[in-house]
Amino acid sequence: MLCLGIESTAHTFGASVVEDDERIITNVNSTYRPPAGMGIHPRKASEHHAGIADSIMEKAILSPDGGQLDPDVIAYSAGPGLGPCLRIGATVARAISSFLKKPLVPVHHGVAHLDIAMSLGQVHDPLAVLVSGGHTSILVHMGKRWRVYGETQDITLGNILDMFAREAKLPAPGGLSIENLAKKGSRLLRLPYTVKGNDVAYSGLLTAAISQLNHRAAVEDVCFSLQEIAFSMLSEAVERSLVQTRRKEVLLAGGVAANTHLKEMIRSVAEDHGASFYSIPLQYSGDCGAQIAFSGSLAFAHDMKVSNENSHVIPRWRMDEVDVPWIPRD
Amino acid sequence: MDTARLTLETFYRGAEADLFRSNVDPWKAVLKRRVRKGYRHESLDDSIRRERTLSEATLLHEAKAAGARVPSVIGIEVETNTIVMTQIDGVVARDCLDAMSPNDSMELFRSLGAQIGLIHTAGIVHGDLTTSNVIVTASGTPFIVDFGMARRSNNPEDRGVDLHLLQRSISTSHRRDVPPLLKALARGYRETAGEKVFQSSWAKAREIARRGRYFAIR
Repeated sequence: MLCLGIESTAHTFGASVVEDDERIITNVNSTYRPPAGMGIHPRKASEHHAGIADSIMEKAILSPDGGQLDPDVIAYSAGPGLGPCLRIGATVARAISSFLKKPLVPVHHGVAHLDIAMSLGQVHDPLAVLVSGGHTSILVHMGKRWRVYGETQDITLGNILDMFAREAKLPAPGGLSIENLAKKGSRLLRLPYTVKGNDVAYSGLLTAAISQLNHRAAVEDVCFSLQEIAFSMLSEAVERSLVQTRRKEVLLAGGVAANTHLKEMIRSVAEDHGASFYSIPLQYSGDCGAQIAFSGSLAFAHDMKVSNENSHVIPRWRMDEVDVPWIPRD
Repeated sequence: MDTARLTLETFYRGAEADLFRSNVDPWKAVLKRRVRKGYRHESLDDSIRRERTLSEATLLHEAKAAGARVPSVIGIEVETNTIVMTQIDGVVARDCLDAMSPNDSMELFRSLGAQIGLIHTAGIVHGDLTTSNVIVTASGTPFIVDFGMARRSNNPEDRGVDLHLLQRSISTSHRRDVPPLLKALARGYRETAGEKVFQSSWAKAREIARRGRYFAIR
């Protein structure tokens, strides 16, 4: 069974064809880059997506042997995300679905980050740590759904890194710039460390880090301290979650999973408690069509399709509001 | 105190500390030693461990004075970030809740609610209130343990965090319907905390839960 997945929640428009939830055949993505120092403007991003959609789709259905792939299912990212961006992906998906007369499957973008990671890593029933621009959540599967054990109460880990990088005028991608500068820093500055229960809050840390920068602290030291504090807060919450939920696997997924230092910290927590650790490979950590295609395959196998008329987008949609009967995996 | 001469028997590795059983005549004792966390920067780690050891001992003592069922502090050893306290005989709620009858579990949560109410009205918040930190004795009486994250606070926000986390520890770790347990918890809490503290704490808990991302605007 071939599933075509279309990603369009924020800055990335992507399309991918996968076979079941096992093999990625194509995965083509294009990311909107805002002007230096600016964040994602939803309308500008959606214009980028609308402009690039046809060429991405063309490449995504081009079989490596030269022919054309014939998908059996069309999956699209229905949310959460930026409304104008989501609507571009959904519109493309509806058009292809009605033209090819193939079923349409809505996918939750965050669930999809975990699905692709679980498939690639053959992970069964993990404590999942999802870190991206949209999510910073610690989750376990219970009953039919992912349940949140800890999450951010304000901005995400992706947000704090992006926003700090913009303030510090670091080149995009901000997270990578911070990671590289942090390697040259060594002085741990006093910055707020905010863990509430098992939730984290990063907005105070962002303000304090920017203030350090304005008070002429070396940018390397601020990057170093920002990473240490932000990642330690999350690691501590992950460790508590692991002890309470007793999972034997820890899964790290989402765009910030690209950060090597964070990966090593979460790995260390997992190993301390005898749990195995798997992190999504760099090339699939950021938003991509393949994650939607994987999740769409699994959802279709559980008959979770929608009619064209009911194929809405859901800009606000929580991980714990989605039925995911395919977890735990075999 | 000097713990070097005590015979220690390891029995549990928690998220931030190792626990040992020992005897400090005339008590059966538990030693809680905060160990270095490799993932944390050393100076950050040192200050976190020391601060939490000292505040845990102080707040356990204060909670006890307020009439709450918690371990008694026998002594501390600052150099090794160790607290020595009395052992509570029983089973952790994390392990026994799923096997309890609906009636017993409701009674446990009512009684637990009353304990939390006592601690909160004494101006203390627990900070890591989960089913792993509640020990149920043979008679079904709950003791609250692990005050490592506890703080002095009369802020409804901090009390709300306690209630919010407890709720999440049930929904992520137990095959039980959460609302009836919370109702029983609320009943017990109201008994000891009084109407005003009860209202402010539970309103905050609901608000905190909705701070998470992507709640629909209703």
